[in-house]
Amino acid sequence: MNEPNRLRLEAVIEIGATGIRLLVVEVSEDGTWSVIDRSERALALGRDVFTTGAISRDSLLQCLAILNRNREILASWAIADEHVTVVATSAIREARNRDSILDRLAVKTGFRVKVIDGIEENRLMYLVVDYALRDAPSKMSKANSIILDVGGGSTEIMLLQKGKMVAAHSFRMGTVIIEQQIKAMMGSSKDMRRFLAEYIRTTAENLNNELRLDRVTQLVAIGNDARLVARSVGTQMTDLYAVIKREDFIAFVERITGYSIEESVQHFRISYSEAESLAPGLLAYQFFLEMTGADIVVVPYLSIREGMIISQLSGPENLAREEFNDQIIASAVNLGKRYHLDEAHSGYVTRIALKLYDELESELGLDRHARLLLQIASILHDVGSFIRSSDHHIHSQYILGHSDIFGLNRDDMNILSNVVRYHRSEVPSPTHLGYISLPRSDRTMVLKLASLLRIADALDRGHSQHINDFDIELTRDTLILRAKGTHDVTLERLALDEKADLFEEVFGYKLIMV
Amino acid sequence: MKEDSDKYFNRELSWVEFNARVLEEARNKDVPLLERLRFLTIVSSNFDEFFMVRVASLKAQFCQNPECRDDAGIPVREQLDRISRRVHELVNKQYDALLGDILPALSAEGIHYISPAGYTPSQLRFLDGFFMTDVFPLLTPLRTSMDGILPSIGNLRLHAAFLLKSNIEVPTGPLADFLLKTGALGSSGNDGQSGSAGKQVNGENRGSEGEGDHPPLAIVQIPASIARIVWLPDDTGTHCFTLLDDVVCAFGKRLFPGFNVEENILFKVARDADFAVDEDRDEDFIAAMQEVLVSRLSSVPVRLICTGESPKILSYLKEAMYLQELDVYPVPGPIDLSTLVDLANIEGFDHLRNPLWKNYWPVGLPSDTPLWDEFKRTDVLLHVPYNSYEPVLRFINDASDDPDVIAIKMTLYRTSGDSPIIKALERAARAGKHVTAFVELKARFDEARNISWAHRLEEVGVIVVYGIARLKVHAKILLVVRRETDGIRRYVHLSTGNYNDRTARFYVDMSLFTSNQDIANDATLFFNMISGYSAIMNTKRLVMAPIDLKNRLISLIDREIERTVPERPGQIIAKMNSLGDPEIIDALYRANRAGVRILLNVRGLCMLVPGVAGMSENITVVSVIDRYLEHTRIFSFENGGADELFLSSADWMPRNLDRRIELMFPVLQENIRKEIKEILLLYFSDNMKAHYLQSDGSWIRRHPVKGEKPLRIQELFHEAEKKRWELFEQEPQKEFIVRRT
Repeated sequence: MNEPNRLRLEAVIEIGATGIRLLVVEVSEDGTWSVIDRSERALALGRDVFTTGAISRDSLLQCLAILNRNREILASWAIADEHVTVVATSAIREARNRDSILDRLAVKTGFRVKVIDGIEENRLMYLVVDYALRDAPSKMSKANSIILDVGGGSTEIMLLQKGKMVAAHSFRMGTVIIEQQIKAMMGSSKDMRRFLAEYIRTTAENLNNELRLDRVTQLVAIGNDARLVARSVGTQMTDLYAVIKREDFIAFVERITGYSIEESVQHFRISYSEAESLAPGLLAYQFFLEMTGADIVVVPYLSIREGMIISQLSGPENLAREEFNDQIIASAVNLGKRYHLDEAHSGYVTRIALKLYDELESELGLDRHARLLLQIASILHDVGSFIRSSDHHIHSQYILGHSDIFGLNRDDMNILSNVVRYHRSEVPSPTHLGYISLPRSDRTMVLKLASLLRIADALDRGHSQHINDFDIELTRDTLILRAKGTHDVTLERLALDEKADLFEEVFGYKLIMV
Repeated sequence: MKEDSDKYFNRELSWVEFNARVLEEARNKDVPLLERLRFLTIVSSNFDEFFMVRVASLKAQFCQNPECRDDAGIPVREQLDRISRRVHELVNKQYDALLGDILPALSAEGIHYISPAGYTPSQLRFLDGFFMTDVFPLLTPLRTSMDGILPSIGNLRLHAAFLLKSNIEVPTGPLADFLLKTGALGSSGNDGQSGSAGKQVNGENRGSEGEGDHPPLAIVQIPASIARIVWLPDDTGTHCFTLLDDVVCAFGKRLFPGFNVEENILFKVARDADFAVDEDRDEDFIAAMQEVLVSRLSSVPVRLICTGESPKILSYLKEAMYLQELDVYPVPGPIDLSTLVDLANIEGFDHLRNPLWKNYWPVGLPSDTPLWDEFKRTDVLLHVPYNSYEPVLRFINDASDDPDVIAIKMTLYRTSGDSPIIKALERAARAGKHVTAFVELKARFDEARNISWAHRLEEVGVIVVYGIARLKVHAKILLVVRRETDGIRRYVHLSTGNYNDRTARFYVDMSLFTSNQDIANDATLFFNMISGYSAIMNTKRLVMAPIDLKNRLISLIDREIERTVPERPGQIIAKMNSLGDPEIIDALYRANRAGVRILLNVRGLCMLVPGVAGMSENITVVSVIDRYLEHTRIFSFENGGADELFLSSADWMPRNLDRRIELMFPVLQENIRKEIKEILLLYFSDNMKAHYLQSDGSWIRRHPVKGEKPLRIQELFHEAEKKRWELFEQEPQKEFIVRRT
């Protein structure tokens, strides 16, 4: 079959908490894309996982059946597997039998399922919102907003100040979980309201520290439930998003929470499992809405699946990517602020580390993403000092290992926490569980990034940034750092003696400071 | 608000009136003779189906709940009575036309029907030989008493019944006892009726009448494998025929040596065909469907048609089949006119048939290059049978053979037995394309055929979807996915009629070829939904029953109400086969009261009562019955000047809107929309074949008033297409079509 290279089809299948959804897009030469096929089948994986902890055999069989039907759809487009991305979200992510399920799926359907974590979902959502609102008035695209996705097994929240990311979180609270909790407590819908209101109030209090919620002017609601509201009472602005007035949204939610499950099924032509999660989901949006000063709810008609497409299409050199990296860094800086970082020092170390990275790029064998991780590790290497100065590298490791940075997934965070761990004199040892539990390639990356970070940190031993700049020269066996201008570099040389070992070991160069 | 009884016509009676209009065409002297005969046969087969489905269902209703009433409030018993009365009237009219008019006229044209009484000696000799060699070996007489009759009488099959009397005297004594014991003597006098129930008595097995209460009755099925029209040799140059059943009656006594035939009749039974397949059997749905087909052969009888004078046999049959007087339709001439269709197709005699109307390839559509480029450029409307069905076949064939086509998906509801469409799909699948065929097994009376070719498709790798539980898929849609240099392109064909090249020669349907993105997207989603790939999703352009088609129609009607102002009343024009959905009818009444003008073109049954002040004075209902079967569904809404027009596979009936998967699609291209609207309006100027519904439920045929030119709409459309084609052919060629690669 002759395949003109200009034409490309990409497919994404998402195995979510409430169903399996497929998307096929056609990508044109200039990188724009349009949806040419969609399908969705309800499957309550979330209910399994959030009640019993594991995915049941029945659900697995159904999942296989649906995926094999999806295979037929893909065949009808003649899409090869390398253009198909299959992702799984919270339900499979949290399933106790996740590994065996993934194995069954791979064996019986041929799909290699990629499990994406909450914060990765965040990133995809951000991409989606950004895409949907790219032609929207700047009043909307540059507003203070909350992006909220109440899913089956988790809730993703992002806070944007004037369009810039200030925080991103993923909470283990979802419609299925809420519904199960209520059932477990034999609760009524009143209990559900109380439970939800309680939960959301505490969540919101925490968020308030990162962004004043009363200054938020719009809530961006993602997810099927929100789209259902948009269809009923929203105003369609473009093909990509709709806007619902605050009072209309609240009135609608008030109305439908009075419906029985059967009525919802009848009314909205949704499946039973969707109907069951409709009320808790919409209530969650409503409560969040009421915590903010937002007067509109924006509902993008795009999902995490479109997010995957956008993500795939934005190559590393892409402008969108740069912008996106800015958001990630903004989120990291924001995290640093929370721990009262010495910004001058971290800024300096970051600059030097990146300079080293760029000079040595051909030696490193790492990609752009690694550079980003180095940048963030450099910014945040001292966060542990917030707890106590001694052993602050261990505290830094702990903090990064347990924080969210928008746009980074769990694997990234694990690498970061190890890089900061080794920014002082200590080197990895077999007793360091955090390090040895990393995959081999990640361990190498940690070594390389940490060795650069150590040099950069050593060069500002006094936290005074008095050596403004360096020239870097690489000879056959030596890396020579030449301070520009005249400085007393005794302290730095001492520090380097202590910290250059890792670099010399990893790269085989001697490091000399002149 | 009117009483319900004045608000709607009864559905069944309205249907019967439709068949009455068909009968009118058979009685219409302006119609060529053999076409009139054809209309007579159609009346019969229509009634057969009506009884098997509708009357059967009413009877079942009556058994379950005699209090049941229809939307107009008529109790079910009364409906049955009124149906029977009216159908008896019509059947009488039908035979008056046949015996008093059509057969004599055929005679005058040299086609003579010879009944057994009229056989000449030479004809008798011929028939004797014919009977003995061709017919006799196929006959299996069943000697029976009442209890045994029921199961053996096949649905709609023609049977002859003979009342026998023994002509052999067997003296009482040991011989008689012996014969009795061995059963050779038939029913025993001792245990009366049941002795020989269902037992076969054939020619060799000489039986004789026992001393039972009932004289023996034998039933013979008239073989369906022999043509029913038997041409008699004739040296005078005229065409004489008799009927197979006549021959069996005339020579039937040879089946019963030792007996005299006292009385005989011919009869035919229609049985209940209205029972549903067990929808829960998803695993072996095909098997379940086949069981239904088998059981249809022996279900409850609902109607008996018979000929001949034999009160005795008749009362047996009636009793045995639990039929009442009103279910029996004695006819004075050849029974079962539906099988006389061969006569209408007799070779020669073209002057007694409709002139041939050619089906034209649409003017402007390239006929010797693939259609892709054309469909990319513009939507194309196909109006069959004025246009030929060829473009659809071409399109499917092109799609099957084009290497760039990657997928073909289509629905198949009723298609012809040896369908070129099926062949194309097979070929496409063999060529490695992704082919999905949506086969509706539940297409009534086509089930058996559908099962067989569906298997064939499956064997070559077509993904065959056998319908949806509890819903019939009635939508007609074809989607072709093609990989082109600038990307994936989808071509959609949407139709009001089935993918059946045969019926496309006499069903009037419209279909649209388009590559409109929105419609293509919706088509993709539609197939996902009906193939089990997806839950129900929202569509942008296509409207789907049972999801939101009815709501959409009602909201379109309501929008018309909103937009109507006295200076510019809204207008709804709709054409369909049947109108029987009370919710829609109520919406139309609402629109009427708001001043909306409503023109309805309903070929068949119509439950809406037009022309009633305060309810429907702005509503006109026309029905056109002509040589082609009107089958298009077109809905046009004026929308305050921004006209919207839709084509659809759905009638405005609860069964279409609530229990079937149907599609309604907008005609988006301006010129096509205008063309269709013109066509839609033109129907209301027909003054030859148009009948107008009155507020009392009767239909009045319109005739040209003084000074008015006769206008026959089907002829007009045909002539227009012909002219278009002739003009096109005359057009001097401006350039040569050069073939090069």
